[in-house]
Amino acid sequence: MKMTAMTEVTTDNLEPPSVPPADSPGEEEHSAGIVLPDLAERPTELGETVGNIHCENPFMVAKNVDVYYGDNHAIQNVSLEIGKKEVIALIGPSGCGKSTFLRCLNRMNDSIESARVTGNITLDGKDINRKEQDPVALRARVGMVFQKPNPFPKSIYDNVAYGPRIHGLAADRAELDSIVHTSLERAGLLGEVKDRLDEPGTSLSGGQQQRLCIARTIAVNPEVILMDEPCSALDPIATARIEDLMDELCEDYAIVIVTHSMQQAARVSRRVAYFHLGLLVEVDETDKIFTNPQHKLTEDYITGRIG
Amino acid sequence: MWVAAFRSQNKNSMQSTTLILLLGFMAIAAFYFGRGRSLALVGGPGRSSALHSLPGYYGYYVAIWAALPALALLLLWVLIEPRIVVALVISDLPQSYQELSPGELNLLVNNIQNLAAGDVVSVDVDTVLQNAAAMFNGYVEKSRQMLAVLAVGLAGLGGAIAWQRINPDLRARNRVESVVRWLLIAASSIAILTTVGIVLSVLFEAIRFFQKVPLTEFLFGLNWSPQTAIRADQVGSSGSFGAVPLLTGTLLITAIAMVVAVPVGLMTAIYLAEYSSNRVRAIAKPLLEVLAGIPTVVYGFFAALTVAPWVRQAGESVGLQVASESAMAAGLVMGIMIIPLVSSLSDDAINAVPSAMRDGALGLGSTRSETMTKVILPAALPGIVGGILLAVSRAIGETMIVVMAAGLAANLTANPFEAVTTVTVQIVTLLVGDQEFDSAKTLAAFALGLMLFVVTLVLNVIGLGVVRKYREQYE
Repeated sequence: MKMTAMTEVTTDNLEPPSVPPADSPGEEEHSAGIVLPDLAERPTELGETVGNIHCENPFMVAKNVDVYYGDNHAIQNVSLEIGKKEVIALIGPSGCGKSTFLRCLNRMNDSIESARVTGNITLDGKDINRKEQDPVALRARVGMVFQKPNPFPKSIYDNVAYGPRIHGLAADRAELDSIVHTSLERAGLLGEVKDRLDEPGTSLSGGQQQRLCIARTIAVNPEVILMDEPCSALDPIATARIEDLMDELCEDYAIVIVTHSMQQAARVSRRVAYFHLGLLVEVDETDKIFTNPQHKLTEDYITGRIG
Repeated sequence: MWVAAFRSQNKNSMQSTTLILLLGFMAIAAFYFGRGRSLALVGGPGRSSALHSLPGYYGYYVAIWAALPALALLLLWVLIEPRIVVALVISDLPQSYQELSPGELNLLVNNIQNLAAGDVVSVDVDTVLQNAAAMFNGYVEKSRQMLAVLAVGLAGLGGAIAWQRINPDLRARNRVESVVRWLLIAASSIAILTTVGIVLSVLFEAIRFFQKVPLTEFLFGLNWSPQTAIRADQVGSSGSFGAVPLLTGTLLITAIAMVVAVPVGLMTAIYLAEYSSNRVRAIAKPLLEVLAGIPTVVYGFFAALTVAPWVRQAGESVGLQVASESAMAAGLVMGIMIIPLVSSLSDDAINAVPSAMRDGALGLGSTRSETMTKVILPAALPGIVGGILLAVSRAIGETMIVVMAAGLAANLTANPFEAVTTVTVQIVTLLVGDQEFDSAKTLAAFALGLMLFVVTLVLNVIGLGVVRKYREQYE
């Protein structure tokens, strides 16, 4: 039911604004933005997205996405491109819709009964909300790492082997072994756990558990990895390890990370999107956002005046 | 005279009610006196911070001293009074009556009490009896008056002493709280003591049984036929007390019930927890609970009158010999009865699995059924197993359905289409009707009860152990 509604909206509404309206003012500001604009000239109200929502090599493209939870309009008219092999950080105060947007990208909102998503999101040029799209297959291509490490109550090995098993990625035990080992190695966990793959995943420390969850996600060989505040439950050392890991992983995957830490966004991402009250306020290169934000709200947020 | 007796009885109960009400009022008054004195001692409500406790606690302190001793006296009095009154009445009886045997004397006292209360009396009423009844009423009335005076006096005295002892340094809150703590302990020990009492009484009666019938015969004997000759000159079988047929019958019916209840209940729980929409869940869950609320006796006649004939017909149509009361009928209906128990406990276990597990599995691209079978069920398994074991002990202890539908014949068989009998059914038949309470036949009921208790206890311990062992896995 939900899917039909979304497809209708997609075909009806979304062809005309092929160039998102948010685009033109942002472009102007951008060209003029070499000098710091006057405070008076800068937009202070919520409205169109400023900055640049486009990127060089777009892989996932969201256009005019709206999400409703029942009567609550959770995100409004969000358009954003996500490039191949880039890390993009979504920042903003709590409840601003960044996690909701993230969950649209692999249709995790499907499991919430009252959620309704409209707008157009494409993965590699194909609408992910189209009728023929199996959400299960989509989630195999767009993996997700959650805020709280959530290893299954199984052994470390079985945790990583879970995805390859359900998707039939390994022909035999030897191949499965090699997938598990490669994934653990890429998640930087192999050295710590290779002698105790039979122990339950829950016996690891928090940081190790989160890397196990990343290994579990990589094992399915996705093209995009969504991370929903992956370090918020971890100490600074474990956080640093995960950030290093992201640096390595972005050579192969597009990574979208939701974070509350602006330092983290500055360290790991190439582009930053700032959400506020369900609207995408500003998107730009990380350096620009942190040194020369175009929107008053962005500046207030990154300088600590709000949030 | 009857009316008079009724009135006097009525008056007695009215007196007790009045007395309790009066004590209640005294306690309330004591509260205000205590509170008032504590405030007066420090010089008004504005200076209540000079008190050790809040003023109310001084009030409660005095009220407790007023009410508790008086209530304790009341309780003690009610427990002891009948014995003293009866002893007094007996001592007033003519010599000839006093020499009666204890049993006959007991009967006589019963008659006197009934006459005094205005109830039906089993013998002709003569003057002796009338006098005794009047005497009985007189003693009771006197005792009640004495009680009223003593209780009110004690309440007043206790309250006054406590009131006297109030001073700003009195640790009233701590004292009140310790009284409350003891009340809570007393309340919680009632259930425990009752359980211990039941177990002990069953245990002692069972030991008496095992003095008459060897334990080995009871545990390993293959023949159950509890009829014994009551008198020496009576012709009758000597009785044999092998509990094995009862145990196998119980297990057979329980097994059939679980074969029905576990898959249906578990699948219901999975559907309700993971697949159903909120609306379906909101309707289906209460309906299932209605199923749990049907009295077992209703299930019983449903089994005996509807399911048993149906099983018989169905069996005969495929050429099977089916007894009109079969283990199958009882087991099927018992299974239906247990479905809500299994489904509701499994539902709880499934819902207790953190939703992070569900998200994690879905986020890796699992389908709903893969999420269910590979992640959620394994995580919920300890809770589900615990629930199933609870359901098994419920099935083993279930009585009404099997009394009506399973029959009385103690057949040692594994054929579900034959009549079998269970431990609970035999306990019922052994104790229904007039019984001699020291025959092996009657005592056998206690031995069976003890066996049932031990079996369900062991199952519950195993169930709790399983749950505890695996619980920590995802927490």
